[in-house]
Amino acid sequence: MKLFEYQAKEVFKMGGIAVPKSLLVENLEGLDTALDTIGLPCALKSQVLRGGRGKAGLIPLVKTLGKAVSEAERLLASEHNVQKILVEEMIKIDQELYLSVTIDAKKATALVIACSEGGIDIETLAKESPEKIIFEEVDILLGIQPYQCRNIAYKLSEDPAIIKQLSQMIYNLYQVFRSYDAELVEINPVFITKDGKVLAGDGKLSIDDNSMYRQKSYEMTRDYFDSDMAYEAALEGIPYIQFDGDISLMCAGAGLTTTVYDLINYAGGHVANYLEFGGPNYRKAEEAMRLCLKNESSVILVVTFGTIARADVMADGIVAAIKKLQPDRPIVTCIRGTNEIEATKTLKAAGLECLTDTEEAVARAVEIAKGGSK
Amino acid sequence: MSIYIQKDTKVLIQGITGSEGSFWTKHMIDMGTNVVAGVTPGKAGQFVEGVEVYNSVKEAVAASGADASMLFVPPKFTKDAVLEALSAGIKKIVTVADGIPLHETVEIRRMAKENGAMVVGGNTSGVISPGEAMMGFFPYWIERVYKPGRIGVMTRSGSLTNEVTAMIVEAGYGVSTLIGVGGDPVPGTRFAEMLPLYEADPATDAVVIIGELGGTMEEEVAEAMKSGSFTKPCVAFLGGRTAPKGKRMGHAGAIVSGGKGSVEGKIKALEGAGGLVADRPRKVGALLHQLLD
Repeated sequence: MKLFEYQAKEVFKMGGIAVPKSLLVENLEGLDTALDTIGLPCALKSQVLRGGRGKAGLIPLVKTLGKAVSEAERLLASEHNVQKILVEEMIKIDQELYLSVTIDAKKATALVIACSEGGIDIETLAKESPEKIIFEEVDILLGIQPYQCRNIAYKLSEDPAIIKQLSQMIYNLYQVFRSYDAELVEINPVFITKDGKVLAGDGKLSIDDNSMYRQKSYEMTRDYFDSDMAYEAALEGIPYIQFDGDISLMCAGAGLTTTVYDLINYAGGHVANYLEFGGPNYRKAEEAMRLCLKNESSVILVVTFGTIARADVMADGIVAAIKKLQPDRPIVTCIRGTNEIEATKTLKAAGLECLTDTEEAVARAVEIAKGGSK
Repeated sequence: MSIYIQKDTKVLIQGITGSEGSFWTKHMIDMGTNVVAGVTPGKAGQFVEGVEVYNSVKEAVAASGADASMLFVPPKFTKDAVLEALSAGIKKIVTVADGIPLHETVEIRRMAKENGAMVVGGNTSGVISPGEAMMGFFPYWIERVYKPGRIGVMTRSGSLTNEVTAMIVEAGYGVSTLIGVGGDPVPGTRFAEMLPLYEADPATDAVVIIGELGGTMEEEVAEAMKSGSFTKPCVAFLGGRTAPKGKRMGHAGAIVSGGKGSVEGKIKALEGAGGLVADRPRKVGALLHQLLD
């Protein structure tokens, strides 16, 4: 689960990482109070999860009350689903840095990544000037050691007072990484202010989904998602990605669903939605089909090849879902795996098109979507 | 012959009394696996499918001589179960659990390395040597999918594995050993770490890799081929060729980031090392023929 900047900064503050003064507002009424507290000029930072907010005009700097109101109005009414704005003080910046902690899967360590250039796209920099990036491996069983923090800080600054603050920030950020079960915790940029302070200018905290059971629960609200369907799917625990084509996928297994997505693109078709109806969700045919039907797709394609996700159970679920939901579009099925013979019988008895070859099923769905025979 | 698991491997089942554990224990035995003991804390003295249950791995190993452990343990208890198996000296551990906390997968891999053990998984169907034995759950009874043969298979997926393996069989081949390294971002064992086993296995003529976007495991296989440490023919099928950048599609490990992990890059690396890459599951069989005929 990715947290919003304001949530990440709350976590930082609790973890002893300094952040600029800010207040969160959800509407224009709250803006006045926030401006009184924070003062002008200030930054209006849209709380959305997409990257590149600055370039998209989602972090305007405002100098007057009038401008603050008009910009806040613009953001809240924009197409980017902005529900909250973080009103943040303007900082006089001397230098910007990059700092993050993540996992090195191959070496099985935690990894601190730092760079004396901040506010940049670290992925681009990694490609173009990898020598500028500092990597420090941390044994996850021992945790980060003070000498490691110091050594990173020495490479980022020459000012003893800044080095001291940076070391502490690195140490604290690592503790946040561990205690929040983070996939990634990132400060980009770190601000070194003109008056010698080290602050987190931005905050990214992505918590591992498998660890949510032992993490503070952040309420899943609509603003975490880019569509209503993605939000509803998340509430059901169904992996879902919104696209804008006309073929709804209701497939089992992450790898197989991704492969079917590829095959549809090869065949010149367009996917409306990616949906995984397998693993722990193989008994959720009705929920999965309901989500597919909310798309303006012209066909639903079901492809499975499960072991524990039994074919017969999935077939029964699909037939029951059809009875209940009365879908207005054709459904192409290709259900194989455990108890596939029973599954085929069930689907045929219900009058469903029942194929056994994935590519054939994909071709059929694309044909229907293109206006072929239903 | 086969790798990782053979007919004589003495398999212990941790979590044997659970519903999944007991169900798949029966199947593993039916298929020919030498299941010698089970462990569920507090259930010592019970029997599951004729297999005696112990309270601890240490007791089970002492009584049975088990040298491999199959875990049917929920994700939140997996780290504990793996550490218990490691502490009892077991070097082959398969964990199928889907949902192990990320940081614990790092700890598991870290401890496995320290103990010189090979942990396969999590988030996998496990390991199968068709006709011999399995640790995990595969529909081995479907002949058109799991037929014994001379092709080694390594995979990050579940359902897709059934799909591709069916194509290998359709092309007239069968499988020596299939190892599901799993779909987690930090699998206990990586593709390239399995290669020495396949390289040394006289029963494996070629290896098929079922990979996908994200991570660098496929690139590491290409490095092993390039360096000459792996010399057998290699065919790969990679899911996510058309996946949009930045979307998390497929397994948690499947995301393109830091300019690494794109299918494009993986194809380039594998082909540059002499491997062949299928653009669709059906092509895998034809490419195997191209390399082996």
